[in-house]
Amino acid sequence: MNIALFATVLLIAACGLVYELVAGALASYLLGDSVMQFSTVIGAYLFAMGIGSWLSRFITRGLVARFVGIELLVAVVGGFSSTALFLAFAWTDAFRFALYAIVVLVGILVGLEIPLLMRILRDRYQFKDVVSNVLTFDYLGALGASLLFPLVLVPHIGLVRAALLFGIVNALVALWSTWLFRHALGARRFLRVACVAVLALLAVGFVAGERITALAEHGLYADDVIFARTTKYQRIVLTVWKDDLRLFLNSHLQFSSRDEYRYHEALVHPGLAGLPGARRVLVLGGGDGLAVREILRYQNVERITLVDLDPGMTSLFSTHTALVALNQHSLTASRVRVVNADAFVWLDAHDEMFDFVVVDFPDPSNYAVGKLYTTSFYRLLARHLTRDGRVVVQSTSPLFARASFWCIERTLREVGLQTAPYHVYIPSFGEWGFVLAGVSPYRTPLTLPDGLRFLDLPALGQMFDFPRDMQPVAVQPNRLNDQVLVRYYEREWERINR
Amino acid sequence: MTDDRVISRRGFVGTCASAALVGLSCKGGARIAGGFADDGGAAGHRVRDGAPLGRVVERIKVPVVIVGGGIAGLSAAWWLGRNGFHDYVVLELEDDAGGNARSGRNDVSAYPWGAHYVPVPNRDTTLVRELFSELGVLRDGKWDERALCFSPQERLYFRDRWHEGFEPLLADTRDGRAEWIRFNDAIAALRATGQFTLPIAHGAPSTSPLDTLTMAQWLAREGFQTAALRWYADYACRDDYGALASETSAWAGLHYFAAREHDEQGPLTWPEGNAWIVARLLERVGSHVRTRTPVRRVERRGTGAVVRTDSAEYECEAVIFAAPLFLAARVVAGFTVPVDIAYSPWLVANLTLERWPAERGSPPAWDNTLVDSRGLGYVVGTHQRVTTHTDRTVWTYYRSLAHQTPRAARTDLLQRSWASWVEVILADLGRPHADIARCVSRVDIRRTGHAMARPVPGFLSAPWRRALADTRGPVFYGHADLSGMSIFEEAQYHGIAAARSVLRRVNHA
Repeated sequence: MNIALFATVLLIAACGLVYELVAGALASYLLGDSVMQFSTVIGAYLFAMGIGSWLSRFITRGLVARFVGIELLVAVVGGFSSTALFLAFAWTDAFRFALYAIVVLVGILVGLEIPLLMRILRDRYQFKDVVSNVLTFDYLGALGASLLFPLVLVPHIGLVRAALLFGIVNALVALWSTWLFRHALGARRFLRVACVAVLALLAVGFVAGERITALAEHGLYADDVIFARTTKYQRIVLTVWKDDLRLFLNSHLQFSSRDEYRYHEALVHPGLAGLPGARRVLVLGGGDGLAVREILRYQNVERITLVDLDPGMTSLFSTHTALVALNQHSLTASRVRVVNADAFVWLDAHDEMFDFVVVDFPDPSNYAVGKLYTTSFYRLLARHLTRDGRVVVQSTSPLFARASFWCIERTLREVGLQTAPYHVYIPSFGEWGFVLAGVSPYRTPLTLPDGLRFLDLPALGQMFDFPRDMQPVAVQPNRLNDQVLVRYYEREWERINR
Repeated sequence: MTDDRVISRRGFVGTCASAALVGLSCKGGARIAGGFADDGGAAGHRVRDGAPLGRVVERIKVPVVIVGGGIAGLSAAWWLGRNGFHDYVVLELEDDAGGNARSGRNDVSAYPWGAHYVPVPNRDTTLVRELFSELGVLRDGKWDERALCFSPQERLYFRDRWHEGFEPLLADTRDGRAEWIRFNDAIAALRATGQFTLPIAHGAPSTSPLDTLTMAQWLAREGFQTAALRWYADYACRDDYGALASETSAWAGLHYFAAREHDEQGPLTWPEGNAWIVARLLERVGSHVRTRTPVRRVERRGTGAVVRTDSAEYECEAVIFAAPLFLAARVVAGFTVPVDIAYSPWLVANLTLERWPAERGSPPAWDNTLVDSRGLGYVVGTHQRVTTHTDRTVWTYYRSLAHQTPRAARTDLLQRSWASWVEVILADLGRPHADIARCVSRVDIRRTGHAMARPVPGFLSAPWRRALADTRGPVFYGHADLSGMSIFEEAQYHGIAAARSVLRRVNHA
């Protein structure tokens, strides 16, 4: 057997394994629970290969032409498998169906390859050599693909283009076969034209792969997805890379475990450290329990009420091993009460008073969330504040969304509160802003709790200075009947995001 | 009128039969429940057809009787009460007071059966401001933020997607933009004349050259040609008056635009629509209201009058007739005013949605309008909620049957089955929302044959308007029909104007 045949076997084996790995990885990314996804994808794939092997008995004539045809089919279906799956995930409700349909189809086609090839070679070489050599190179190809996949393909060219690249390899094998087995093949010209057409199609897909990636938003999850769930309210995705644990809600980064302490220390301590008499604290949003973790440092705080809309979030952050390690079991602490409710409705329905309120909502990117940044909401909030009580509001970036930041500040002033805006640098977010507000003027605290990783008194003092490119701009307050903030925000982030 | 009766009778039988049954239709595999909500046509038609009167079992002496418990009648009652006068009754034909401002409610939301908002009143619209001050909607010059319509207020569906506001359509092309600017300038100039007030009685001259032509003629005369602007003007006339721009007085059509300039982004709205105001008024005057009490006859007696219902006779000093004027001709003895008003028929459907349907473009607004539709779009009943998420919702779908003559439209309105109307509505809403049929669990439909008077050219100078306004009693007329505009401000104004006349008369006596 010559070297060309060995190479063919090696390549088709590698292609077959790559499609399987792509499907498994993609299912893990998008659905989470990688053990389940890989097990079921591999199982379905091997079973389908068995079907393919069994079906091969029904192919009796024109073996080489059939082999070339199957190679081309594998090239197209396998090559575009990840593209199709991403699009199915992004635009349809039938992702699982598409996943297993594609896995089974590719499996059947790949299962046909080796038996056909062995039968083609049977007449030319000794049968024992055929079996031995073909299987040896089949397994070698698999080893190559399994090493290439995590080391080169995923980090450097991504899942969409990895599949397309190996589709191209499959199509090249097909084209190569029309030359290799030219003596056993009629209609060579037709098959070669078909090969070239498939190659062209895959090449276009490969070049446009970047755009497809963006279309399916998978670029966000560069790291391994360890958890993904769609709740009634949002899609929760957790990714991990080395020691960096990241939370995404509806594809928006919420925190990175590497620098979240900067965010949460800056969110809580400038306000709460100045209120030694604070006993009751309210947290709105913040279902990750990280702000609560910081609040629990204060022994004077007797009761913390956390109101978060999504029970999916609060239960995840009460039970998941990696997450309770991060928030130090804050959500199950005895001083903490977790309420799953809409913040606006909850404040409307309760009359409890608080000494300190942390408002940690998603950015005002739409009219629904924008309601939680209006004069109406802040007026309602102010009614729940004790006389010396204070509120802190996460207020997006004063650098990237300057008008939005100052609009939130303006809105708080509109309801009669005195404000103290400040900002801090968080590597994974960039420059980030907060606004403290209360009936009385703000004074910076004289002490901070022990054990902080970022904040100290000198750093705290600097946070209230706004350099020239973040200074106030003229804005309107945000109202329920005229949500200017959502329009500011949309305009500003549109400029940043490409 | 004879034709009308035959048709309406047949329609009436259909109404009762369908209202009694709960319709079930199969659409897209999902079962949609619902039916015709009671139109009240039955009681109205009894009055119209002169059904035999019952025996008088009760004689009641009361100084003032208000006929009709819609916005006009309730406003009259409110005004009497505010002035310390409590010796009156309100007689209402329907099961509930409120007229065009009634509402319904299910486990998802309250929803309107008609009027669903009040534009933020100008400083000059003092009576509306007075009412809202009393109701706490206006406090120290500031409007209740929960009552002002939340963002986004309106969106428009064209070219296969939703767009926020009307401007994207009107200023779409260079020609369109130029015309839109010119139109706004023209409106500003008309506004500056001071004749487009609310209520119209404060500004409108009894004769205006703008009342001699239609809105469509005015647009043509001023050289407004783009299809977008013409559609917009037509939509405005259909929305406010149930008539096409080619049938509406230019003065009335322009009033829609020129009377409304506010320092606050509105309008004022509630999930149940203007029924919220009705409920507040009923808290104050409800004990005087007798529902299911059709007035069959109003006659002079001495210096006063007698109001006859099916079983009772009210002997009174004055009557406020706060019902539509077409009823006056049938009920008020010696009513000789030659009133000839065209009434627009309307259909209002409340759709209960189990989930939000698919769509493209800008997010759901309070008022959602479709370009090139016979319908007027839909209003989202859950829009004024402060929650960030709503699973189920109720949409109120409006359709004025302006593309047919009122008579033909009434026939169509009453003859079509409930299932057929559901099909029409879902086909209309299916353009922006392909899966609407799978989201809707219930469609309740209310048909109103005579929903509102049409301000056709000449209504401003119509002699009957002056004749009715100058009435010396004992019957005083107070209804939006007197303006030819079925809007809250006019209904309230006429109700209160009649109450003032009655107070003068009663206090003199």
